Amino acid sequence: MGNYFRNIWLGVWTVLVGMRITINHLVMRKVTNQYPDRYPDLKSLEEAKLVPTNSRNRLFVDKEDCNGCKGCERDCPVNCISVETTRVTPGDTVPLLRSGGKRNLWVTNFTIDMAKCCFCSLCTQACPTSAIVHTSEFEYSEYNRNDLVYQFSPFSPEEAQVKKDMFANYQAEQAAKKAAAAAVAPAPAATQENV
Amino acid sequence: MDLFEIIFYFFAAIVLVSALVVVLSKNIMYSAFSLLFTFFGVAGLFVLLNADFVGITQIMVYVGGILVLIIFGVMITTKVTGVDIKEGISGKLQYAGAGIITLLTAIFLSLMFINGKWITGSSTDVHATIHQIGTLLMTKYILAFEAAAILLLIAFIGAALIGRRKA
Amino acid sequence: METNFIYSLLGNNLLGYLAVCILPLVFLIVYALVAILGELKIGAFMQDRLGPMRTGPWGTIQPIAEVVKLLQKENITPDAASKFLFNLAPFIIFTAAFAAFAVIPFSPKFVPSGINLGLFYIFAIGSFAVIGIFMGGWASNNKYSLLGAVRSVAQIISYEIPAGMAILSIAALAGTLDMNEIITKQSGWFTNWYIFGGSGSALRILFLPFTFGIFVIYLIASLAETNRTPFDIPEGESEIVAGYHTEYSGMKFAMFFFAEYANMFVVSALLTIMFFGGWNSPFGDFMSGPIWAVVWFLGKSMSFIFLQIWLRWTLPRLRVDQLMYTGWKVLLPISFVCFFAIALLAMLK
Ligand code: SF4
Ligand code: SF4
Repeated sequence: MGNYFRNIWLGVWTVLVGMRITINHLVMRKVTNQYPDRYPDLKSLEEAKLVPTNSRNRLFVDKEDCNGCKGCERDCPVNCISVETTRVTPGDTVPLLRSGGKRNLWVTNFTIDMAKCCFCSLCTQACPTSAIVHTSEFEYSEYNRNDLVYQFSPFSPEEAQVKKDMFANYQAEQAAKKAAAAAVAPAPAATQENV
Repeated sequence: MDLFEIIFYFFAAIVLVSALVVVLSKNIMYSAFSLLFTFFGVAGLFVLLNADFVGITQIMVYVGGILVLIIFGVMITTKVTGVDIKEGISGKLQYAGAGIITLLTAIFLSLMFINGKWITGSSTDVHATIHQIGTLLMTKYILAFEAAAILLLIAFIGAALIGRRKA
Repeated sequence: METNFIYSLLGNNLLGYLAVCILPLVFLIVYALVAILGELKIGAFMQDRLGPMRTGPWGTIQPIAEVVKLLQKENITPDAASKFLFNLAPFIIFTAAFAAFAVIPFSPKFVPSGINLGLFYIFAIGSFAVIGIFMGGWASNNKYSLLGAVRSVAQIISYEIPAGMAILSIAALAGTLDMNEIITKQSGWFTNWYIFGGSGSALRILFLPFTFGIFVIYLIASLAETNRTPFDIPEGESEIVAGYHTEYSGMKFAMFFFAEYANMFVVSALLTIMFFGGWNSPFGDFMSGPIWAVVWFLGKSMSFIFLQIWLRWTLPRLRVDQLMYTGWKVLLPISFVCFFAIALLAMLK
């Protein structure tokens, strides 16, 4: 019997608690973002909060920080990143990475196909220099699907070709030097080298 | 023909037509639902006769109680359409029996209508029927009232008993 | 007593009758639009949303858009349905809901029909809705509709008993079933309202728990009878699609919709009349009169509509066994106790 009345009391009490909560929310600040009608101004701090800080939107690659390790390319589950690198020719003037590291590779081609991207964020986690990041830019639809392929290489194709040729020349030079050295050196040494 | 008569014939037509559907329809469900209109029409006739308490009670008891019960019952029966009652010799007998009973009832009723003494009262004091009914129930007809109450109580207990019996 | 200003305006003729019938209908339509908007907006606000914002300023003409949308929709009658009954059911339900407006006193000068059995009449006319729901559910020839109808009817006839006890208590307290008389008896300050035991000696304070209890019981029972959350088991979307109106579309669905809102108003009006003094001003003679009466009456009723919407957006749906437990084992015994206590109070007066 006591239980019966306690149940009734609990029922009434919890309903009242619930009603208090909902009535509080009735007058609370609303969280709705009236997006297409009112565009959130990402530059103002107050409005930028409307886009969650950990939201995953368009990717961006810091060209001066990407060391060309291809970690992102390997980790992407949908293969939408493609990175092409070439070795830095010794003696070339190489700026340090923005994060201070030494650059060993030129990124001659770096494309991200945002039409394929599934926003899993695996690439950003793989990047050793945090060069690839999600931005808060979420409005980037295009009429042509090819326009969604973004290019993040610091070089134009011609410049890239210059770097590639430079390294190819260097390699050819090295090979020529080696060949010359091999010709000069005694035969047994060469066989030894081959072993 | 004044408004009163138009309304009277309207309700009378509703009662007659829906009662016919109740009897003639092959689908029990249709019969049950057209009972709704019969009850409604009868209630309307009661109200027209200044017996608004009886009219509303008619709706309350018959529509709200009995009709719901009937529909619940019918819905649980498996055979809703075309319940056959006229197969073979027993069907013929049923027809004959029903015909005789109907005829007798009709004769009896018309005799009653012709020979009965109709009490015609004034319909001036419409607004006090419920008080009069209440007072009469508690004084003159107390025995009938109590008898009905006891009957209901017994029905209640019986229903509870049947409901609680373990299968 | 002349209870209808329209009859004194137009005379006791067919035109007058028509006007009296149409006025509540017009009110009902306007009210339904307001209530739909209220439901949308309040529900949204309680969930920290903004609700509809794009139709009109702050989405205020959203309900009209919804009605227009419903009007345009195709009126589908399922092939396997029992056509006549299927098409009839929405009308019966709407008629039942609208018929209750016949006795609702909006003001001392406007009661569509001032019969002396108002309370009893409203209670009885509700049974038409039961049949209508049954008709719709059965005629749809759909298992969800049928289940919804059976649930709905079981629920309504269970909760009719506590609701009836509440109405009986008020009848005992007022000594009449006439709506206007019930309200007149509560005139004066708000302490004369039946929720505070009506006018009389200060002793009535002792009965406050019972009068308040019977009010809460009627509130709960009326929620169940109008199939509102938390008692919307008959239309529980997660289990039986939409219950008895699963198969309905377009205008016929709108009829169910309107009937639900009409019922909401009827129970709110009843709560106002039975417990909160109807069209009486809470402050004695201050701001009273036929026009103020309408304001007070609608104001009080609308606060109950708000309460219903508030409850709807607060509580989850009950389970069927919880529903039956609440109805038969909690509300019914308590309503009996309250009824006897209130009958005692009525005798003491
Ligand atoms: S977010 Fe995922 S899918 Fe998109 S580019 Fe990075 S790894 Fe590929
Ligand atoms: S993982 Fe980072 S550093 Fe490596 S290639 Fe991708 S963006 Fe460049």
